[in-house]
Amino acid sequence: MTNRPWLRETAWAIGTALLFLALCAGFFLLLGKHPLELIWQVALGAFGDKYSATETLVKTTPILFCALAAAVPARLGLLSVGQSGQFYLGAFVGTFFVLRFPAATPAFIALPAMLLCAGAGGAAWGLVPGFLRARVGVNETLTTLLFNYVGSLLVDWAVYGPWRDPNNLGWPASPPFPEAAKLPSYLGSRLHAGLFIAIALAVGLHVLLTRTRWGLMLRVMKSNRKVAESAGMRYGLHVVAVMAMGGALAGLAGICETSAIQGRLQSGVAANYGITGFLVAWMAGQHLIKILPLALVMGAIISASDALQLFAELPSAIAVVMQAMLFLSVLGIAGWRKRKGV
Amino acid sequence: MDVAMFLAGFLVSGLRSCTPLFYVLLGETLTERVGVVNLGVEGQMLIGAFFGFATTVWTGNPWLGMVAGAAAGMLLSAVHGLLCVTLKANFFASGVALWMLGGGLSAFFGINLVGQKIEGFPPIPWGPFAHIPVVGQALAQLTPTVLLSLFVGPAAGFWLYRTRPGLHWRAVGESAEAARTMGIVPERVKWQGILTGGFLSGFGGASLSVDYTRNWIEWMTAGRGLIAVGLVIVARWNPYLALPSAFLFGATEALTLRLQSMGVKVSPYLLSTLPYLVCLVVLVYGYWRARQRGGMPRDLAAAFAHTE
Repeated sequence: MTNRPWLRETAWAIGTALLFLALCAGFFLLLGKHPLELIWQVALGAFGDKYSATETLVKTTPILFCALAAAVPARLGLLSVGQSGQFYLGAFVGTFFVLRFPAATPAFIALPAMLLCAGAGGAAWGLVPGFLRARVGVNETLTTLLFNYVGSLLVDWAVYGPWRDPNNLGWPASPPFPEAAKLPSYLGSRLHAGLFIAIALAVGLHVLLTRTRWGLMLRVMKSNRKVAESAGMRYGLHVVAVMAMGGALAGLAGICETSAIQGRLQSGVAANYGITGFLVAWMAGQHLIKILPLALVMGAIISASDALQLFAELPSAIAVVMQAMLFLSVLGIAGWRKRKGV
Repeated sequence: MDVAMFLAGFLVSGLRSCTPLFYVLLGETLTERVGVVNLGVEGQMLIGAFFGFATTVWTGNPWLGMVAGAAAGMLLSAVHGLLCVTLKANFFASGVALWMLGGGLSAFFGINLVGQKIEGFPPIPWGPFAHIPVVGQALAQLTPTVLLSLFVGPAAGFWLYRTRPGLHWRAVGESAEAARTMGIVPERVKWQGILTGGFLSGFGGASLSVDYTRNWIEWMTAGRGLIAVGLVIVARWNPYLALPSAFLFGATEALTLRLQSMGVKVSPYLLSTLPYLVCLVVLVYGYWRARQRGGMPRDLAAAFAHTE
């Protein structure tokens, strides 16, 4: 078995999944529910019929963007946890421009412009922590976390204040997006083009990071900054660049969710997608292709938790608890392997 | 007299609002002193706030609530110890996992507590002091957890800088390997540091729900734990500076509340960003200063730069 690394990796992945299922089963038992029945309900709730399957993909989309947003800075050894703030900024800046488009703007102009603006907004929210890291050495994990709260409050300010649509009868939200600024949906469901944009970006970025000179430079700088700098690479510049790129990716998640799912800017639109994305990137070892299936798993958990709320009358926080248990399983197994050297 | 009243009122409301943060900040300071970063204090605070509030509702005794909250925070921090010390996982990743676990579990089980109310602590009998003008009115607003916070920081500082176990902690934080050659078992000290931090952050969380707001809302800490991790750097890992640093946050929050009640025409949502922005600014200043003068425990500097 030792000379077949993929077999060994698969065995460990199954081990991690089993530990996660055992933790879930333990938690369900603690609640006095039948664990196998609940786990079956989770599977049904995620993939049971066309509706559940498309809803799983709908939830997968922002997670995928946010996971890419966490993975790109991590390629330079940076731990950005600011995906949710960047998500909000993307939604915020994107909405700002969408509400100002001339009425007759056709979709082929409106949609790219909207995505571009949202990307820029998210990028700004990644750029500042990147700059502070590059120039002053401020730990980017702390600054991005603080920026999350500011980003979320900024959207609250907009939808409770100047952008509030009086036609919403007390419901705090911006006016609805014009049809031209709504991403196309498919299969008569909420599944939208954002998913394909995210997959294309994952593949494109994977090629960029593994097959180009720049990707190689990032690897050199991550493994040894001093050597890289003495070879003329400008570490600080690349820190700012990857942080801004990460921010832009999370910003896209924000505008896709706002445009295709909500149809207007609302408070709390990022839900827990940001932190879930961070978690997915970590579990995938920051590998952009491995992120794809793992984002689907997380999308399934979140989508199934909606079903659990109905079926087992469990609070919606069950999704966060299950994600935390998955993350703990991954960290625990990885640590155990490192400790034992297997 | 009006100015004195205003200042005293501002001081007391700043102290009251910074007390939960202070305990977390002190706990994280001690944890980082043994060379471990724990972002999970946010989750420990939440679980502490939840258990503290639930116990107070159940028993009617806020002191029991404080103890239960602290114990819950400590229990959750044991997961961090298991992952980071025993299994050598990344501090930040483990912290995020703890944050989700604490927040998720407290939101899950706390759903029935939303909307419930408790009495909180009975007023402290100040006797003749209660009749001194200004001072008496200020004293009347102090609660036991606020009062306790004035003594815990110096006590921790004395312990860290003036006792033998404190020396061991500092040695481990500076360099675990060097401490090992001195005959210290770094793993044991790190466990102690993590559990102490967990106890204090659970206590801080409980003081938020049991004493400060006297209610329970999901995710009610709103980043206070993360702000505490940032302010540890501003306090330069010094327990004596924990209270002044926490007060910076408390004063900002007190100021925003005061501005709102004075009818300032700024959106409450924008005002609410102030504590985070202030924390951000002092964090940058703290880093800039630490770069000029040093003072960051060496193993910790490696952890924050992700070069360990």
